[in-house]
Amino acid sequence: MKNVTVTILATAVLLFTAVPYGNCAEPPWRTEFDETCAGTSEAMALSQSELQALIGRCERLQKIIEQLDESARKVFLKRLLMCKNLYQYVLDAKSKPPEPLAQ
Amino acid sequence: MKKIFLTLLLLVVCVSLGWASGMMKKKLPPYDYGSVTINNYSQQAGMPPVQFDHWLHRQYATCRLCHVDIGFGMTANSTKIRSTDNMKGYFCGTCHNGKESPVYQIKIFDSCAKEYKRDEYKRCTRCHILERSSAREDAFERFAQKMPRERLGNGINWEKAEEMGLVKPADQLEGVSIMKPKLKIQQDFSLKSKVEGMPDIIFSHKKHTVWNGCELCHPDIFVGIKKGTTKFSMVDIFEGKYCGVCHDKVAFPQSDCARCHNKSPQEK
Repeated sequence: MKNVTVTILATAVLLFTAVPYGNCAEPPWRTEFDETCAGTSEAMALSQSELQALIGRCERLQKIIEQLDESARKVFLKRLLMCKNLYQYVLDAKSKPPEPLAQ
Repeated sequence: MKKIFLTLLLLVVCVSLGWASGMMKKKLPPYDYGSVTINNYSQQAGMPPVQFDHWLHRQYATCRLCHVDIGFGMTANSTKIRSTDNMKGYFCGTCHNGKESPVYQIKIFDSCAKEYKRDEYKRCTRCHILERSSAREDAFERFAQKMPRERLGNGINWEKAEEMGLVKPADQLEGVSIMKPKLKIQQDFSLKSKVEGMPDIIFSHKKHTVWNGCELCHPDIFVGIKKGTTKFSMVDIFEGKYCGVCHDKVAFPQSDCARCHNKSPQEK
């Protein structure tokens, strides 16, 4: 009887701790994705070092997203690349001297 | 008399050559402007291709929401959408999930299903359309009647419609979009016209970022960030590059010259 109670209690504890991750909370990669790509609307205001750090986070995230199932991979890889390319584009513009205008 | 005849003949030859080389595009009826046929896997699965109408969807969502947050490509058939993607809640299935949308306060019909009964097939044919029906054209006409008019494209001035509060396109969806701070608008700038007598262009960042954000245009469509670094001509635009990615397909057509070339000589 004691064994059964312990098993039921242990199962309940496991279920209780698993629910927020499975149903409510985002998986860690998604939280990281949201935080990394949240800067696109203010990319022009970011410093070169901030942009470089964000590009690095995008590259690390890309490896994780490449492991997702095909549907999620298709959507989030595209989104991640758009965000990474924008950071790279702004960084290039900030670090290169302006090209001379065509005559 | 001979001169007139020769001029007319030359004109006919030029127009014919232009038509043959694809420079002059066939003018679409307003309800068809911006419609896209998606046919990556439909016919393999025994379904007609999907007919996507931009006019129907752009009243509910900004370009950015669909083409950045939901992940639709900018050219037809580039996204390679599968029914299984929709069933998992991606692409069309993001909104078309049979549930009441918290943004639009309406129940949006489910997009795809693994199995369906005979009476449910009607739902499939709302997107997988075999041939144009007059009901679809009527729906467009009913919608267009309430909207501010425009000369070309689908005949609707979308910018004015939003200003007047007739359409309220959502820019974010909870659980899909990243809730970001409001975009700081970059400055407008002028682009010099290359044709004598043609007014210069005032490019409005405000008008464009409100629907597109930054990453939809940069760097995929416009690579240069400093003024003058992305060099393009009207020929490039006619070929569907730069402004032509949207204008002439969904946004107002390139033949509406004055909507871009609008800087009066006094302003120069």
